[in-house]
Amino acid sequence: MDTAPAVETFERLRRITLRRQRLEAAVGLLAFTVVLVVAFQRSQFFGAEIGGDPLGRILTFLDRMVPDLRGEVLFEGRQQGGSLAWWYYDLPVWLRAGWQTVEMAVLATLAGAIAAMLASFLCARNLMPYAPVRFAVRRMLEVIRTLPDLIVALFLVAAFGVGPLAGVVTLALSTFGSLGKLFAEINEQVDPRPLEGLDASGAGFMRRIRFGVVPQVLPNYASYALIRLEGNVAAAAALGIVGAGGIGVELQRAITYTEFETYLAILLLIVGMIFAIDIASEWIRHRLIGLGGAR
Amino acid sequence: MLELQGVSKRFGDTLAVDNVSFACGRGEFIGIIGRSGAGKSTLLRTINRLSEPSAGRVLWEGRDVGLLKGAELRRWRRRCAMIFQQFNLCPRLDVITNVLVGVVAERSLAASLFKAFPASDRAQAILELDALDMAPAALQRAGTLSGGQQQRVAIARAMMQQPDLVLADEPVASLDPVNAEVVMEALQRICLERRTPVIVNLHSLEIARRYCTRVLAMAKGAVVYDGPPQGLTPPVLDRIYGARNGRPVAEPLAVVEAA
Amino acid sequence: MTPDAYARARAAAPRAMQPAWKSQAVQLGFALMAVAALAGMAIDLDLRGAAFVAGLSKLARLASTMVPPSDGGDLARIVRALAETFAMAFAGTVIAAVVALIPGIVGAKTVVAQPALHFGFRRMLDMFRGVPALVWALIFVAAFGLGPFGGVLALALADIPSLAKLYAEAIENCDDRPMEGLRASGARPLAVLRLGLLPQVAPIMASQTLFFLESNFRHAAVLGIVGAGGIGFELEERIRIYAFDEMAFIVILYVICVAVLDTVSQRVRARLA
Repeated sequence: MDTAPAVETFERLRRITLRRQRLEAAVGLLAFTVVLVVAFQRSQFFGAEIGGDPLGRILTFLDRMVPDLRGEVLFEGRQQGGSLAWWYYDLPVWLRAGWQTVEMAVLATLAGAIAAMLASFLCARNLMPYAPVRFAVRRMLEVIRTLPDLIVALFLVAAFGVGPLAGVVTLALSTFGSLGKLFAEINEQVDPRPLEGLDASGAGFMRRIRFGVVPQVLPNYASYALIRLEGNVAAAAALGIVGAGGIGVELQRAITYTEFETYLAILLLIVGMIFAIDIASEWIRHRLIGLGGAR
Repeated sequence: MLELQGVSKRFGDTLAVDNVSFACGRGEFIGIIGRSGAGKSTLLRTINRLSEPSAGRVLWEGRDVGLLKGAELRRWRRRCAMIFQQFNLCPRLDVITNVLVGVVAERSLAASLFKAFPASDRAQAILELDALDMAPAALQRAGTLSGGQQQRVAIARAMMQQPDLVLADEPVASLDPVNAEVVMEALQRICLERRTPVIVNLHSLEIARRYCTRVLAMAKGAVVYDGPPQGLTPPVLDRIYGARNGRPVAEPLAVVEAA
Repeated sequence: MTPDAYARARAAAPRAMQPAWKSQAVQLGFALMAVAALAGMAIDLDLRGAAFVAGLSKLARLASTMVPPSDGGDLARIVRALAETFAMAFAGTVIAAVVALIPGIVGAKTVVAQPALHFGFRRMLDMFRGVPALVWALIFVAAFGLGPFGGVLALALADIPSLAKLYAEAIENCDDRPMEGLRASGARPLAVLRLGLLPQVAPIMASQTLFFLESNFRHAAVLGIVGAGGIGFELEERIRIYAFDEMAFIVILYVICVAVLDTVSQRVRARLA
């Protein structure tokens, strides 16, 4: 049976393939291991500075974060240690800061989306006939997308001073970068027939966009902008940490005063806030898509 | 050898298989025909217990298959190889490994986890593939093959199991006529050379007439005809497929619906 | 147009024949309300045009000090910081990928067939998906002191819910016919998973994990701001001392690194598919 030519041919081919596969696997595994070891060593993950027992440290720390709530006094006043009100002792201030974060996100998303809309008309292949303009706008959007929000925020805080203004500008800029690209893709997928109709009636660049493109793309734009709004609420919360206003400022304060229980309280507030915005935005988006379909 | 006694299968309110009984001996090539949804697939799947019957018994050489558990059940599934309409190969594994799946029930768990099969298994797999002209593709990924080639690999896998019984669920419904012929002839060869009984679900009467030694017709879960293919006269076909608009079913009939 | 024709047109399409000002007034009303709400928000945040203009002119002044970019005489240190940032991203991604496997498998509908449990589990993952890595980094740096350790943990923790969700979806969306084929051949349950499921989901999971490595390299760059080391720490320092020429240099180098990593990772992902 072993002498059958088909078997012999196969075994020869198999040896060659196996050798190649094993070599590839060995090289890949080696490269991965080296990078992994170097990465853990560079990031001092198992370094001595933290006591060499990361898990134990995390557990101790978690314990410090969780407040000592007591069931029997849970709903009493904030002077009573162990009550909910005691844990959330500065709730009005936090809610106000949280609302500011939402406001920052809304304004930044709107400003970024409007700018992105204008840019998207300039870099869509079917709308902007001059290739150099498309190229320049696209590269600009790409560079903006690469810059991390917080680095931009740091820089803008230096220019605009501490406060929500720097945060709004930062978020508007990054929204502009990401939505500009998405909007341009939507523009390139529009139905060309209305555009041809407008061309036939002699419409210019602005008219083509106003009557040929905007009615088709607006629901999609709004849907993407809302998704971005969800992300911006989370981002705005983080921006406060570098002094750009909103709830992040409170987080930073809690850490500075080593009030880890307060940190957890605010963190849960942020999680709830992001979750609520997500649900609201999802609801609106589903309605928008429904409307778009009915048209 | 194989005997079904009053097998029924219920999904919620619908009775997919209704009190089916038949026996099948060595060398038989049984075609099961009927409209889509007549319960053909479900019946076949109760035999290797991919689907548990709600009532009735499946016997193999007098033993109740329904009582098998764990390793015994796996051994039974190994002995009755199944061929599927959609081939059910692992598309990202190479062809030879797909064929070697036919012996995983026999080999150690470690062998199947590391895909380390003895050379004799590999040689056997190649010979099975070679019999179906598929040996040159042995190291290709199964997903890169055409439908007809994949079904041939699936047959090689079934052969690898050294089956005592072959179950084929619409094996040619997704294939072009040329490949359908290759696959049906391979099944016929198994039946003739190894005297292994073959039970095959078919949607085409023409194919059933050409290959089967016996035909079982199902309608609404029950067997309405059991006999030689020559007995499929127009009145019988009317009962199986139901006359459309009172008009008898035309000859030769190939119901195009795939299950 | 005769009065009769007008009446008939009205009967045929009452909305279209309604005086135009009516629907326009409603639209105008909504628009005014929206503008008022936005203006209210802007006032609440104390966003003033004058401040914006003044900031812009300051920005222009700062930007002019960015050219020519300079390495500040210590290129080695910058490169080390970049390497540390990548190391944090890599270590964080690996930890997240390993940890996310468990909730990913448990969260798959096809694995845990208990709808209520599955729903609750997914919702919990959803809730924590929104928390940015920086928020985690802040707390971990406070807990473990300055250095990349907190950053690695923060990245891992921020990724776990999203990766778990993607893994669960990969498992749910896989084709179960190959597994049925294996079962029909008498394969053991473990062998069914190894030969039927793993080859399907492993490339998808690997590809998603690589995608997270790309995004973690971006996130890791900012963690230094809260003291988690890496390039963010260097950047913050340069900005604090208004050394914008050095900041520009670091940013350019970083953008190049991002582009290189993205390209390599996309190549690998294309091969996995």
